[in-house]
Amino acid sequence: MNRNLVVLDPAHGGPDAGASLGDHIPEKYTTLALATRLRTALTAAGFTVIATREGDSADPLTADQRAEMANRTQAVACIVLHATTIGSGVHVYTSTLQPMPEDAATADSPRVFVPTPWETAQARFVGQSLRLSDDVKNALATGNLPSIVGRAAVRPLDNVMCPAVAIEIAPLLVEGGNPTPVTDADYQQRVANALTAALKTWRTHADSRTVPQ
Amino acid sequence: MIPRYQRVLFWILAIASILMALFLLHGCEQAREKLTRHRDETPLAAPVATASETVHLALADDADGSIKIADRELALPSETTARARALLSRLIAEYTYKNSAHPIESGPAIDDVFLLDLPLHPPVATRNSSVKSPEAGSATGNPAVEPHTPGGQLAVVNLHGAFADHHPSGIEPEMLTIQSILGTLYANFPRIEQVRFLVDGKPRDTLNGHADLNRIYAVANTTTR
Repeated sequence: MNRNLVVLDPAHGGPDAGASLGDHIPEKYTTLALATRLRTALTAAGFTVIATREGDSADPLTADQRAEMANRTQAVACIVLHATTIGSGVHVYTSTLQPMPEDAATADSPRVFVPTPWETAQARFVGQSLRLSDDVKNALATGNLPSIVGRAAVRPLDNVMCPAVAIEIAPLLVEGGNPTPVTDADYQQRVANALTAALKTWRTHADSRTVPQ
Repeated sequence: MIPRYQRVLFWILAIASILMALFLLHGCEQAREKLTRHRDETPLAAPVATASETVHLALADDADGSIKIADRELALPSETTARARALLSRLIAEYTYKNSAHPIESGPAIDDVFLLDLPLHPPVATRNSSVKSPEAGSATGNPAVEPHTPGGQLAVVNLHGAFADHHPSGIEPEMLTIQSILGTLYANFPRIEQVRFLVDGKPRDTLNGHADLNRIYAVANTTTR
């Protein structure tokens, strides 16, 4: 595992515009903008970042292709980015798969090749993904950003073989004021900063934890 | 002056037409009598007032992403699939009310619900139709769907395309709707263990761009807070 490598997946793109975020702004542009901010912040923090899309190509990668790209990198974390107008704050999701023991192959047991099913490739990493989501939640709280943490059946989360979370930003509700839309640059930057802080913490944790190969 | 053979031909054709008309009328009369003879003229069953019962709805809340159980008094049909359909339709209707915590556009949502007894084996695709073992079915790449407990059922929930197309888009709203349906089935139908979603009778990748519909969901207690 490359402890300095992060895979970003700005969801949607091309003909798949995603949700409409008001004023005819499609989700695909917002996820791309957030990914750009996050990429800058992560690079400044010493991470190498690979993104599954850099612009709005007419023929973007499919969910399976994005997972394949992530699986080739052995990244310390894979972050899928979404945006919505429903709910509030930042939603942090991990796979709905049941976690598998990370140390299933012990030193005593003979090494037997067991193929990993594509649909449940994330199962070995769910434990780590849950710990990563905890780090993200704590970093968001430190940045005064409300968050909801849960499990979701969203592709390609189940197919990636790295600690993975889906981040969905929703409008930021302010007591007695107008909600901050997800397209707000300052809001996106705050989320990017919080995610960077979380990944810095996660990188430190990844050093001290047993990581499956 | 009309030739004699033409006048004879005219009268022959006129008589033939009248005979054919009489024959057709007779045929129609016979057909009507035949239909009437087989018609069941027993009166329809008188409508029965079904007693209301308490059902449990797993209601979603967008504000905190939670699912909470709420009880409602409902009169439901006795047949299980009709009950499931009516219950889920009522659940979705709750979200169309004003001030709903998980607003969804009103309109038909649940087209039908089918209940299948488990285990469920995939159809066997083989040239030799005499070989129909379950093991051969798994060789096609689609594993059998096994029950968690004996007597378990798979519910196939067929959604209307318009419902999916107009559903609020996002991971949270789409997952909450699915969890709400799963939680409601869990709370009211103990035999239903797994749920497969279709849209307009066909598989669909996502509800509206996010929540995966190409999988079988386990029915569970989805209440979160």
